[in-house]
Amino acid sequence: MQLDLKTIEALAPDQASLGAAAKLTKRSNWPRLEAHEQLPLIWGECQGSGSNPYRVAFDTSDHGYKCTCPSRKFPCKHILALAWIGATAPDSFARLDQTPDWVNDWLGRRRKPGQPPATAPARAEGKSIDEASRPEEAPPVEDAAATERREAAQRKRAEDTRSAVSAALDELDQWIADQLRLGLAGFVDASSERCRRIAARLVDLKATALAGRIDELPAKLMALRGEERPDAAIRELGKLVLLAKAWRAAPDDAELKRLVSASETRDQILANPDAVQVESDWEVLGEKIETRRDGLVSHATWLLDLKSSVPRFAVLLDFFPASAGRRSGAFAPGDRFKARLVFYPSRNPLRALVAERLGDAAPGAWPAFAPDAAGDPLAAYAAFQEGAPWLSDCPIILPAGAIALDEKDAAWWQAANDPHGIALPVAGSVHQTLLGIDLAATAALWNGARLELLASQSSIGRLDLS
Amino acid sequence: MNGLDQAGLARLRDGWISGGAMFEFAPVEWKEVATASNSDERERRLLAIAAQALDVALRPAAPKSLKRRLPLPVLALPMLPERLRPLLRAALKYAADARLKTRVAALVASRGFVLHPMDWMPAATDQESPDIYAPWVDWQAGADSEKQSRREDLTAETWDDFYPAARRSALIDLRRSAPALARTLIETKGASEPAEVRLALVELMRFGLGADDVPFLKSLSADRSGKVREMAGRLLARLGERGNPADGGSEDPIAELAAFIEEGKSGFIRRRTTYAPVKLKSPAQQARRADLFASCYFGDLVAHFGKTEADFIGAWQFGVDDGADLFLVRMVAASGGDAAVASLADLLAAAGGRLAILGLQLTARLDSGGKRVLIRQILNDGQNLAALNMVEGAEAGWLEWGDLAKGKTLSALRSAVSGDNDVVKRNTEQHLESIGFLATAATAEKLIGEVVAAGLPPASPSLSLLRLNAALAANPTT
Repeated sequence: MQLDLKTIEALAPDQASLGAAAKLTKRSNWPRLEAHEQLPLIWGECQGSGSNPYRVAFDTSDHGYKCTCPSRKFPCKHILALAWIGATAPDSFARLDQTPDWVNDWLGRRRKPGQPPATAPARAEGKSIDEASRPEEAPPVEDAAATERREAAQRKRAEDTRSAVSAALDELDQWIADQLRLGLAGFVDASSERCRRIAARLVDLKATALAGRIDELPAKLMALRGEERPDAAIRELGKLVLLAKAWRAAPDDAELKRLVSASETRDQILANPDAVQVESDWEVLGEKIETRRDGLVSHATWLLDLKSSVPRFAVLLDFFPASAGRRSGAFAPGDRFKARLVFYPSRNPLRALVAERLGDAAPGAWPAFAPDAAGDPLAAYAAFQEGAPWLSDCPIILPAGAIALDEKDAAWWQAANDPHGIALPVAGSVHQTLLGIDLAATAALWNGARLELLASQSSIGRLDLS
Repeated sequence: MNGLDQAGLARLRDGWISGGAMFEFAPVEWKEVATASNSDERERRLLAIAAQALDVALRPAAPKSLKRRLPLPVLALPMLPERLRPLLRAALKYAADARLKTRVAALVASRGFVLHPMDWMPAATDQESPDIYAPWVDWQAGADSEKQSRREDLTAETWDDFYPAARRSALIDLRRSAPALARTLIETKGASEPAEVRLALVELMRFGLGADDVPFLKSLSADRSGKVREMAGRLLARLGERGNPADGGSEDPIAELAAFIEEGKSGFIRRRTTYAPVKLKSPAQQARRADLFASCYFGDLVAHFGKTEADFIGAWQFGVDDGADLFLVRMVAASGGDAAVASLADLLAAAGGRLAILGLQLTARLDSGGKRVLIRQILNDGQNLAALNMVEGAEAGWLEWGDLAKGKTLSALRSAVSGDNDVVKRNTEQHLESIGFLATAATAEKLIGEVVAAGLPPASPSLSLLRLNAALAANPTT
């Protein structure tokens, strides 16, 4: 490794980045640190503020870099921290003779491999690695009165937020009643404009999460056939009514606060003693990446617990600005790994964080989950709705089945042994080859109207369907 | 949810679609739950109940018309092992078009595997993919009954049991092993087929073409389709049957073409005849000459000059007019006899350089040995490696390290990779892909090492086919 701290100082975009990088040089932040035996390459996974670790790679010869974080600083603090560890503690890196696929992918897409590195002194002005390395000064000790004032201010802010959200829900209630009075046919036709207007009001009144959900409603409606849209509108507006009622009944409920106003931070979840923790082997079922109307991209990575006797799922959810460009995820569909996940407190715990990566898990088939006693593939969905009727997307494992087409060439999943005559309409179009493959088991998201396929097990192995 | 509830839900739904208060029309039990002092609240409560009913109590009604496809046929080779699929996907991703992707499938098939159908599928009209994929081609084309491409022999009785791609594959095999039997099938079964199918069947006569085929091909001169007549004429010409005996008249295209060729003499002691293209004066003349070369048969042309095909080829002055050289080689490929094709290929390969590239026009007529000679010559020259992409029907996985190392190719690749010229580098990456298809696993492995040592990034996507090839080492090409 040809790295020194002067180089890192020169690479840093500003002093703040160096300071942030210094904090990330602790080994505990890096579940994986690896270096190539022959090539000038180091890479690692850094646990950042997202739900899953960022993947960071650095070419020590020409100082090229890649990080999956959404930072707009280049290089970001994760790159600087990786290089910093490379310069000061090269023994921290496990030596390998091959690079992982995601590093290969980056190397393959680099425009100018082998370019000479930037000269160190040119950009070092105003930045000091020594200053960044200095331990932070302890904050001044607060006196009792100051603590009281701070806590009172916090209570006041929380009370103000609660009042604002309550007013927001009142406005939402009135808005829903108005839509019923004016007619859902008109609502469906003008949903984009009407939803935008109420969403803006909800943002003003601090019901940000709810605003985001309503902003996405027109797109959900438009994805359905014309005759299905009124039913979808009834379902979603009815769920909003239930959510508003639930929040009024328990405004301090963590799940409801998350759905209405704002989510907890990663640190708050990790520090929460009530948060469910599950250490297991996980398979990445698939990803769902959506660009939202508020300019954010939501990146959901769905996981299946491979050690659970009943289907247990988790979703790692990250948001980043669409303007940050395409961002590769930390996992690829089909990846298997051992990890301890911490779930956000919820009636149906799904959203989770990777608290600790514990290595890779062996490949293989999914566990043979025992079917529901009644043999109903949607029994899990009914139970899910019973716990939290205001939610939509529910992960399920479907039994043996196949994909069939209706007369309009729309795809349906159909059970192989069809005791309930169940067939579920599939969202979007499907790979035509799938029509000829018998599916032994299928993981999918069901929202009451459409099935979003994630992955299947079949006689020809695992199929990525997301 | 009972029938009354369902009817009530339908009333609510219809009412809300057009707008207005629907509380009075709700099912009795729902009203009890939704009672409230304010009418808006009552409607909202009803809405929440209706939402739940739609979500949980109602199931999507499966259309009676749901149609399932027949299961994708199981192919005769095992599927590529899971561990190699990332390499395969990388190679497919790098392959720029359908032809290059098919080449990846051909390489894998040569090592005894087929691809996962979610990674690659041949198109319904595919005739270039390895024969092993014929059942999938038929499946893609909509094969929808149990007569899935059977393993039994193709006969007049089993003809209808085969789908088109499987039948084509079986006919090619039959033309190679029992050409008369295949000819009889084409003759008897083809007669009732539409023109485009007849054309495709007659085109298969090129496999195992022999003198016994002459009567059948001559009988096609009365076919309803002009394309079939033309195809039969070319095949007859390959067998030495004169298509357009020259009458020397002013309308005789052979005489017109011959007028574009100048007969001369060379040598001081043993004067020998030479043929060279006449210098043309206008684009109109060039266009007319091109048309005549494309439409006349080689046998007729050499007969006009009173020569054998081999003598005419030996007497042709290559290098005088590149366009005329190309037209002549194409003419030989289309209608020359097998011996003429072989002697022309030998001549061009031995000449090397630009003429060896010209030899690529003949590859559809060459056996695997002939193709290898041409490819080796191109590699030996190291100047026109892009031509490797143009070898029609080249075999996968035979190129040894010595074939690369003894010519100029290896040094050309090394210097291109280590140089600064981005255009040359990009071209070189395409050449690596071509060689990735032709090379043995050992050659692929060694070549990766060479170009990486010369400066190509080890993760360059251009190495993906070479890497897949090398990883398939455990499965020999045979």
